Amino acid sequence: MAYTFPLGPYHPALEEPFKINVRLNGEVIESATIDVGFSFRGIEALAQRRNWIEVVTLIERVCGICSNVHTTTFCLAAEAIAGIEIPPRAAAIRTIIYELERLHSHLLWAGLGAEDIGFHSLFMEVFTLRERVMDTLEAISGNRVNYGMNCIGGVLHDIPDPAAHLPVLDVLEVALARAVVPVFTRDRTVLARTRGVGLLTREQALEWAVVGPVARASGLDLDVRKDAPYLAYAALGFKSVCQPQGDVQARIVVRALEMLESTRLLREALRSLPAGPLRATAGLPHIPAGEATMRTEAPRGEVFYYVASEGGGGPSRVKIRTPSFVNIPAIEPMLTGQPLANLSIIQASVDPCLSCTDR
Amino acid sequence: MDPDLPGWLAALPGVAAVAQRAQALWVEAPALDPPAMARAMAERGIRLAAITAIPQSPDGETTILYHYVTPALSINVRTRTRNNHLPSIAALARPASWSEREIRDLFGVEFDGHPNPVPLLRPAGFAAGMLRAAMCGPTAPVQSPTARTTP
Repeated sequence: MAYTFPLGPYHPALEEPFKINVRLNGEVIESATIDVGFSFRGIEALAQRRNWIEVVTLIERVCGICSNVHTTTFCLAAEAIAGIEIPPRAAAIRTIIYELERLHSHLLWAGLGAEDIGFHSLFMEVFTLRERVMDTLEAISGNRVNYGMNCIGGVLHDIPDPAAHLPVLDVLEVALARAVVPVFTRDRTVLARTRGVGLLTREQALEWAVVGPVARASGLDLDVRKDAPYLAYAALGFKSVCQPQGDVQARIVVRALEMLESTRLLREALRSLPAGPLRATAGLPHIPAGEATMRTEAPRGEVFYYVASEGGGGPSRVKIRTPSFVNIPAIEPMLTGQPLANLSIIQASVDPCLSCTDR
Repeated sequence: MDPDLPGWLAALPGVAAVAQRAQALWVEAPALDPPAMARAMAERGIRLAAITAIPQSPDGETTILYHYVTPALSINVRTRTRNNHLPSIAALARPASWSEREIRDLFGVEFDGHPNPVPLLRPAGFAAGMLRAAMCGPTAPVQSPTARTTP
């Protein structure tokens, strides 16, 4: 007999509050619906009441994991309206923070994913590595989250000794290549819980318009860093990672290999950090009347901003569409026909961020 | 950019003008037929990224911006509601579903024909359009960048 099972909005398997209502026949999921909105804070409305300096601080609070992504994208949009070209050193520093944030986000996901399939020792191993990334972010910015690096026109903090951060990359690269990636891609326990689980075909990925690692794990080679390069990505020779299988395992592989690409990008960026100023403008930013859209590639995929100005002290409209906003609905087709026991890892494989989604 | 794209966009029903600024195309379409646009974009493989709503007054019309993307380009199609209604494109473009539900929650725009018009972000007890009055037009910042005084 069919029955309904609610997961969430508060549950140990969920990083943040959202609710999945699954309809089951025995242990098999027949259909699922998703409820969000439990973390709604009205940030877009608040942004219309902040000046161009304060709004950057507000935007950083959209997400506690990819906070720098949001300030970077917002600042790029405001700079596009004002015709501001940031200095090469500022672009390189933004790129470095962006990739460090991707590393810590992917490592966070890898740890929580390991925990969701009961692999506690892998969780500890991964979170130990993540601490090294957090330490590096703290050494550069003074903060472990919400780094306060960006301002309209450039960055607020320099990286005076870039070579000092290279040894951490060596540690990360060795640990990722010798331990984390092999365990996630070859361990029998991991494969038994992830291979062929939570399928999203290429056609479904196109239909649901997913982005980021979820799209790339279904064979869609979409990555803003490659398709519309921004900051220093064109100069660094970014290579995207794509897998055709469309299952949880493919999403794991994409993120694992992306971490290795991130360490390569970071090494290149730190070694070639150009000299020069940190900001293109001095004093208060003046953003004339205008509007711009901006896309960047967050750890979870394409983030999209629309920013409008009427030439006043602050933005007249800020629209934020996060990658989770389009990826979370695609959990519904991934769950159809799956055993209830796979629900936890399938929803986790999307790396859903509810703080971003609800704003 | 595909050189045919601006002309192709200009030929969509209801489109009045197409302009290129930076890495984006801006399409002005006050009489847009959203379902016809959604079908045409889908046939050409252009993905819907987001929908922005900008309320013009507390009880008036709403500017709607459909943000489409190709790998390297953004296409922003601007239209207006009619009596604060527009035809839904959720059945034609899945990512529109949550966007239209959110816009209904925040600004009270009705997307006619939406397959599942239930609240997305709106808590129980709040009426549709819960932030419309608060987000109408430009709002003076609470504090200007130069207004701070040193204690």
